[in-house]
Amino acid sequence: MSLAQALFMGLLQGASELFPVSSLGHAVLVPSLLHWSFKQSDPSFVPFLVLLHLGTASALLVLYRQQWVALVRGFFTAAIAGRIRNDSERLAMLLLVGTIPAAILGVFLESRIKSLFASPYVAAGFLMVNGLLMLGFEFLRRRTERGASRTEQEAHFASAERISFRAAAIVGACQALAFIPGISRSGVTIGGGLIAGLRHQEAARFSFLLATPVILGAGLVEVPGLLTSGVPIGEYVAAAVLSGIAAYASARFLLRYFRSGRLDPYGWYCIAAGLISLALLHFNP
Amino acid sequence: MTRSRSVAVALGVVGVVFIIVAALYALGVLQIATSSTSGPHYKHAVLFAVLAVASFVAANFARPKAAL
Repeated sequence: MSLAQALFMGLLQGASELFPVSSLGHAVLVPSLLHWSFKQSDPSFVPFLVLLHLGTASALLVLYRQQWVALVRGFFTAAIAGRIRNDSERLAMLLLVGTIPAAILGVFLESRIKSLFASPYVAAGFLMVNGLLMLGFEFLRRRTERGASRTEQEAHFASAERISFRAAAIVGACQALAFIPGISRSGVTIGGGLIAGLRHQEAARFSFLLATPVILGAGLVEVPGLLTSGVPIGEYVAAAVLSGIAAYASARFLLRYFRSGRLDPYGWYCIAAGLISLALLHFNP
Repeated sequence: MTRSRSVAVALGVVGVVFIIVAALYALGVLQIATSSTSGPHYKHAVLFAVLAVASFVAANFARPKAAL
């Protein structure tokens, strides 16, 4: 992989990780469509992805730094007291409950699922499925909305701290669907949050907070292997920094967008991107 | 969550079991459900360590407390 390709992949990963459009799907599809020669089955590609994910997780930590300080403090005070007394403690426990199913499924199933579906055709197909999911989430959401303006409609829904523990576990488990290239982690968690009764912006915040420990944890355990793997660390770190900057910018944009925006445009984008990718792969293999 | 001493004890025992499993994965003794059949498996070890912490937290939540 050349430096330019590494930087491009970093930008792509960072920008698409938090948008509900599947970063893994794009990471599988774009190199295939551009006829890039590097193989994603190459042993050096995993450390590369690990660093890009660490870049994304770092961006989320920076974005929510004050909240994470409160959440860590809330986790310890609630764990020691054995009871929940405020919103920070409740959100910390919700994130723990949401992270556990994703971590279990990730450790035991991730490599198997990824190897099973690591084909550009499959990624394009599942990108369309992801698009249909986004439209489906919004369809279900609209049936429960009241009020004329978007502000009125959103006002009837809750903040992330009010999601139930059962819903948090289900939304967390849905993250495992993102091991399938084409299915978006943020898409299914934001959609799950909407179904659970959260405001769009709060569903996005819960999704980003939920993603941070999983992405960070998965990345950190790979770092020792990365340092001894002989990969071009300098190039990979540069790509990771670019990934982090892109992730930070996209998170800021999405939080602003979801004040009144919906998932529909991303749903239509995924369906169109999947269709176009399938056509390009078929007619220009 | 139901507050009961027996549930709290059971969750504590589960936490201890998770710690042992985490140590066995970290030492490379346990090779169940892993991608390779030799060496330590830190991802699995971290997962079971997290599960142990979660079990102890749940045990503390389940423990009957004096009324405030």
